[in-house]
Amino acid sequence: MNAVAKPDVRAQVLSELRAIPSLAVICDDEGLKPFETDAFISHRETPMLAALPETEAEVQAIVRACRRLGVPVVSRGAGTGISGGAIPRRDGVLLVLSKMRRILEVDPKARTAVVEPGVRNLQVSEAAAPYGLFYAPDPSSQLVCSIGGNVAENSGGVHCLKYGLTTHNVLAVRVVDADGDILETGSLALDAPGYDLLAVITGSEGNLGVITRVVTRLVALPERTETLLAAFPNVRQAAEAVGEIIGAGIIPAALEMMDRIVIEACERFMKMGFPPGAEALLLAEVDGGHEEAEASLAAVRAVLERCGATEVRVAADEGERERLWRARKGAFTALATILPDYYTIDGTIPRRCLPEVLEHVFALAAEYGLTVGNVFHAGDGNIHPCIFYDSSKPGDLEKSEEFGGRILERCVEVGGTITGEHGVGLEKLKQMCVQFRAPELAAFHAVKGAFDPDGILNPGKAVPTLKRCAEWGGMHVHHGQVPRPDIPRF
Amino acid sequence: MKPATAERLRAALPAGSVLTEREDLKPYECDGLSAYRETPLAAVLPSDEAQVAAILKVARETKTPVVARGSGTGLSGGALPLADGILMSMAKFNRVIDVSAASRQARVQPGVTNLRISQHVGALGLYYAPDPSSQIACSIGGNVAENSGGVHCLKYGLTVHNVARVRAMTIEGDVVELGCEGLDAPGYDLLALAHGSEGLLAITLEVTVKLLPKPESAQVVMASFPDVESAGEAVANVIGAGIVPAGLEMMDKLATRAVEDFVHAGYDLEAEAILLAESDGTREDVEHETGKMIEVMRASGATDIRCSQSEAERLRFWSGRKAAFPAVGRISPDYYCIDGSIPRGALANVLKRTGEFCERYSLRCANVFHAGDGNLHPLILYDANVPGELERTEKFAADLLELCIEMGGTITGEHGVGIEKINQMCSQFRPAELAQFRAVKAAFDPEGLLNPGKMVPTLHRCAEYGAMRVKGGALPHPDLPRF
Repeated sequence: MNAVAKPDVRAQVLSELRAIPSLAVICDDEGLKPFETDAFISHRETPMLAALPETEAEVQAIVRACRRLGVPVVSRGAGTGISGGAIPRRDGVLLVLSKMRRILEVDPKARTAVVEPGVRNLQVSEAAAPYGLFYAPDPSSQLVCSIGGNVAENSGGVHCLKYGLTTHNVLAVRVVDADGDILETGSLALDAPGYDLLAVITGSEGNLGVITRVVTRLVALPERTETLLAAFPNVRQAAEAVGEIIGAGIIPAALEMMDRIVIEACERFMKMGFPPGAEALLLAEVDGGHEEAEASLAAVRAVLERCGATEVRVAADEGERERLWRARKGAFTALATILPDYYTIDGTIPRRCLPEVLEHVFALAAEYGLTVGNVFHAGDGNIHPCIFYDSSKPGDLEKSEEFGGRILERCVEVGGTITGEHGVGLEKLKQMCVQFRAPELAAFHAVKGAFDPDGILNPGKAVPTLKRCAEWGGMHVHHGQVPRPDIPRF
Repeated sequence: MKPATAERLRAALPAGSVLTEREDLKPYECDGLSAYRETPLAAVLPSDEAQVAAILKVARETKTPVVARGSGTGLSGGALPLADGILMSMAKFNRVIDVSAASRQARVQPGVTNLRISQHVGALGLYYAPDPSSQIACSIGGNVAENSGGVHCLKYGLTVHNVARVRAMTIEGDVVELGCEGLDAPGYDLLALAHGSEGLLAITLEVTVKLLPKPESAQVVMASFPDVESAGEAVANVIGAGIVPAGLEMMDKLATRAVEDFVHAGYDLEAEAILLAESDGTREDVEHETGKMIEVMRASGATDIRCSQSEAERLRFWSGRKAAFPAVGRISPDYYCIDGSIPRGALANVLKRTGEFCERYSLRCANVFHAGDGNLHPLILYDANVPGELERTEKFAADLLELCIEMGGTITGEHGVGIEKINQMCSQFRPAELAQFRAVKAAFDPEGLLNPGKMVPTLHRCAEYGAMRVKGGALPHPDLPRF
């Protein structure tokens, strides 16, 4: 799929891009090296060229030139995506948006910020902080990831349980479409007339347009935040407590879970002083006004105790809160101390299925003879099982991949999805064939065609062709039959 | 071709499901926008998915357009039939399929009424939040088609924020499942695309709605203001203070006086404008939030503030708001309801300009609207029997919608585009955006058989309407950012 461009095409593109005044173009191998992958580092590809526009007009000119020459365009923000959405093509131009990084406006009254796509996620909150506001979605990579990338992937984060995903926190987006025209989607008012193109653009992984400007919603910083840590004697009870908390009508700002493998790794790595002997920990945060946070704290604590928590700790001060979160955010690093390699799965399930799916994951681990650790956004039902393996042992990688695939299939079976927040990109193209039936994939292709008829924007990512699905055997399109036709496919 | 289509429908559906007699078709000739009427070729009432598929097959093979209809309460003519088309009523799809208290979701058929969902799950302590004024009658399928709002959508969101999944049938007869029960679905967000698509993309077969726990308590604050501008400022200040009331509604003096004569809600008749702000949640939350709102309103210049002291009083305060439209109908022979939305910060300014328009056109205008959302509903009062008044009213309305766009707002808040506002779409959007809408339509319905002629104007229509001034490539207010 990734043929080398003919030398004359490359020369033509280069000369067209060089004709755009003051546009930075990189075409030497060393210069292109840093752009050969995103955070899905097992795949690498050197782009034909990289262009670093500073203005929307430059983006338009680049897209128009590439469209004319039939050259693919892959957009890249900060390159922190972990499903390979920004991996370049050898026959394509990589459009790097990191130079478009101005915060154009913060309006405390409307509670909005207007930013360029290369602005980092955390920068928006920093700019809003003087007004007592913040930008809510907080992916773990928030220090470096860009808003444009967040929109492309519809990023989540620890706090999206209460505050929503990127799609719930963006009011309007300007994109350059495949014709090089500007589309304004969304509105500053309640709702925009016409089809909801804003929602379609959000999470479209660079397939429908190039994002050049984003208007984000800003939220008031809570008056008070409380963090609790609860220890459970087994995973099932912890998982049930998650359902009970939400069922009690409480929406915590965050509700995270870790199992024993992860707890022990964090303990070894960071000396956390976690309750000894715990099989599972829940980390819950509640926020709001003073009374509200107080009431939620008491309610969450009561549910945790009723559900069999052997110990519930409340962070005494800001320092302790930060320490607890450091453990959660450092968990993936700590896990690297267990075995040389691990493979993180990202799937979602309806919350009520948590206990059952986690037990299924452990049963599969026993079947494959592999170790699995769980650290994840329990409140959202977004699971991240980490499968440990040793790539130097023959067959280990294959076994872990098969294990991972079966976990994702289970997610689909119980009514969940094959990705919670990491996107499809290159990584999960195959699972899309399990997730969707032919009519749905056809609808995706039709939408893609409506935005990008020549298929020059990030081709080969996010949506598999029906032919590919048939080849992979994930879907028997020829007979109109899909695997497990009896289960609802959402 | 006409009789052939009807014959084929009769052959494909059970007896009594196909209506072609003039008197049988009468009830279907308009929706809530009764100024527009049309008799369809046939009305069909399918009762299962196979019948919907059969109808769409006939439509494809005879190239007959299909307009889907829920309860017919829409205010922009989205369900207005086409003379050469099939009207498909989804009224027989009226079952609540299942309710899951654990995942707080209910799966219902599209013909189920909005209020029935809340009644059905009430015993579990749950409810469905979006509450259009027509909630007794309007259907959930229609709510999805129009992305309906309501008084409480300020805090709880529009229909799109309260629906997890939609099962729909494309014009090809394929069933597609959009959205998921989990956090987020991979692929393009077709669930959001289906919402507010006004029957142009697919036929809704099933809706999985999200349910919320009923709040423990609720209280309304009623505040009086000496002028509409300061009331508008107070709205922006409440939201700016980080408060998200369950509802935040405004009425001006013309409206309160009309209402008071009609339902005796106990409003302050000396005030130029009143605000009704509702807080809901736990008792502590409500007490705390109400206190904060009172503080902000006082600082914004409220002259009098009252809180509902009982559930009966709370309902009485709301009764005036809910009866406002009929009440205004008593003080003027005719009125024209505008539905536009603006960023909240522009409220005071737009209300002042509305007052100037009243003088310019020598017409009265009552304001009663979802202030917290910035969703305006100015009611322009006129008398159709006075020559020239309707024309002045229409100009007034056009000026107001242009003003909404100029302020960064939109030409519709919650009533949809339908046939009513199809010309204003030419002012709201540029050719590139309209072309994109048409491309999306074609991606789902290449032959344009689903509700053609609604919501998305052709470029030709825009050129004729003249608002877009396509010839010069210049738009009204070209300097404005369009969102």
